[in-house]
Amino acid sequence: MSSKQSILHALKRVAVEPQAMPEINVSPRLDDVIGQFETNLGAVAGTLHREAGLSGLQAKVDELIAQGQQVISTVEGITGNRTLPETAHELKDIDYAVIPGDLAVAENGAIWVNNKNLGHRVTPFICENLFLVVKADTVVANMHQAVKQIGLESGEFGVFIAGPSKTADIEQALVVGAHGACSLNVYLT
Amino acid sequence: MSTNHTSGAGSATHAKKAEIFCQDEARVDWHSKALWMLREKRDRAASSIPEWEQLRELGSQLKLHTLTHLDQYLEEFEKNCHANGIQVHWAKDGAEHNQIVHKILAEKQVKKLVKSKSMLTEECHLNPYLESHGIEVIDTDLGERIIQLAKQPPSHIVVPAIHMKKEEVGDLFHEKLGTDAGASDPLYLTRAARAHLREQFLSADAAMTGVNMAIADKGAVVVCTNEGNADMGANLPKLQLHSMGIDKIVPNLDSAAVILRTLARNATGQPVTTYSAFYRGPQTDGEMHIIIVDNGRTDMLQDKILAESLKCIRCGGCLNTCPVYRRSGGYSYNYTIPGPIGIAVGAQADDTNSIPWACTLCGSCSYVCPTKVPLDKIIHHHRRLKAKAGKLPYGKRSYMPLVGNFMASETMLNCSMSVARTALRILPGAVLKPFSGAWGKYRELPIAPKSSFETWFNKNRGQ
Repeated sequence: MSSKQSILHALKRVAVEPQAMPEINVSPRLDDVIGQFETNLGAVAGTLHREAGLSGLQAKVDELIAQGQQVISTVEGITGNRTLPETAHELKDIDYAVIPGDLAVAENGAIWVNNKNLGHRVTPFICENLFLVVKADTVVANMHQAVKQIGLESGEFGVFIAGPSKTADIEQALVVGAHGACSLNVYLT
Repeated sequence: MSTNHTSGAGSATHAKKAEIFCQDEARVDWHSKALWMLREKRDRAASSIPEWEQLRELGSQLKLHTLTHLDQYLEEFEKNCHANGIQVHWAKDGAEHNQIVHKILAEKQVKKLVKSKSMLTEECHLNPYLESHGIEVIDTDLGERIIQLAKQPPSHIVVPAIHMKKEEVGDLFHEKLGTDAGASDPLYLTRAARAHLREQFLSADAAMTGVNMAIADKGAVVVCTNEGNADMGANLPKLQLHSMGIDKIVPNLDSAAVILRTLARNATGQPVTTYSAFYRGPQTDGEMHIIIVDNGRTDMLQDKILAESLKCIRCGGCLNTCPVYRRSGGYSYNYTIPGPIGIAVGAQADDTNSIPWACTLCGSCSYVCPTKVPLDKIIHHHRRLKAKAGKLPYGKRSYMPLVGNFMASETMLNCSMSVARTALRILPGAVLKPFSGAWGKYRELPIAPKSSFETWFNKNRGQ
């Protein structure tokens, strides 16, 4: 018998009575979802820019480029100074990546990013700093609402990003910037 | 270091190993406090969600539902993985898991593997196996990298280097990574590790991660990290592997959402992990493999009480709250996973038969568990199983039956309690202390009441 068959066979003898799947029906908190999102994004060490919009972001990007930073953008309307390289490894010296988020979650500050918008899957992780662009009308209250809307087609990759990379593995001291981006700024449009 | 680093098949009992940890009292206090801080953060995060108890109940029900339909969900998962271009492998135990991983890596002539934290690969002892076959394995979670460089196993499932002080990490990094001598600033050390590990990610031939959830109806796996190491790993080389226990399956995205809401809140008090990544297929020109592992899980499912331990989502909340874990350290449990959940899933493998007694049955673990694993009930059940199998630890085997008979006899109990009260009043402590055994080691003897409770009751409340 193959290992698969022997595992499945053993699973015919589970001692617990079969249980029904519960109905998942959790009331969302719909008061001031943008405000909730801003608070929770702050709690995970990210920053929300509510008023600047795309023009404010482009101004920021231009300023960074003038300082000699390497900026790549996959957001329509935002121009960086780097184009998408052939291989993911060539992204290793990117200082800033500008990426569109599909939706944001108020209860925890997370933003859903899909690989269709990344160029390479590793882009939001390998960059030193990350800018995410989110449409204000895509902010949902909680994860239950978020998973109803996330796009994840066959073969794809998607990720909820809640703040910059962080760790507290040395004596529980919180350090922002472990392996992924060292900062996260979110622009609302 | 005063901690004992041996693990796996233990040769010493929990009490013996805890005694070694307890020799350094200051470290015990520091360890306990660090973990209690996590417990406090967890409490704040839980109480900020009005529907917290509803989420715990949903988490429990959906995991129980999945565990009682696991054969269907695993087959559905495999079928959907195939449709997404993912290759699925099945391993009945740790040895087979390691062989499968090695075969995949050998076919691609992998020299360097970057690994993201996975308690399952620890359970299977994958690293030494691959290293013995000439493959370099780099653990990339900062805590895991620290203990890998120090040649130690993890002492906690979420914060594996919780037992180490920053000065010790500083010395280790100075020796291994060339950081400044005497430097112990966590920011400086983390940045040094970041630079070192970026080189590893960029030069690795393959990546391997554990799995937080496997979504049956999508054929996708979810991997949660705060550091982003799983995603830096899996998205750079073209070959990605994911190991999962059969218990990691959830039916759909709705159930994943429930668990994502409780996992990080219960682990560290964060609203969600920084990165919750969903892989539903390999990258362009890449390969994605999932290894589904049993390694004793189907046996546990055949015991009504032990089965519930597979509801666990490995948040580590039960370790942080456990008064015994906090004061005995992760290396005292004779199992890869320490603390209450470690006893629940590891007691049968413990050849000293002592870890079910590394517990006060206070129930704090069950109270904080986000999927309502009845940990105290399971640990108590393990004691019964050990007794039934004739494997009670030395001592308990001989005196416990006597204690049972003694407690069952009213006359004997009343008579000896009367003797004890008198003795406590008239004899010096030094004479009595030896009779109290380990209990009296760090405690004063009680002050004897004037009479028994029964006498008092009959006088004041009786007919």
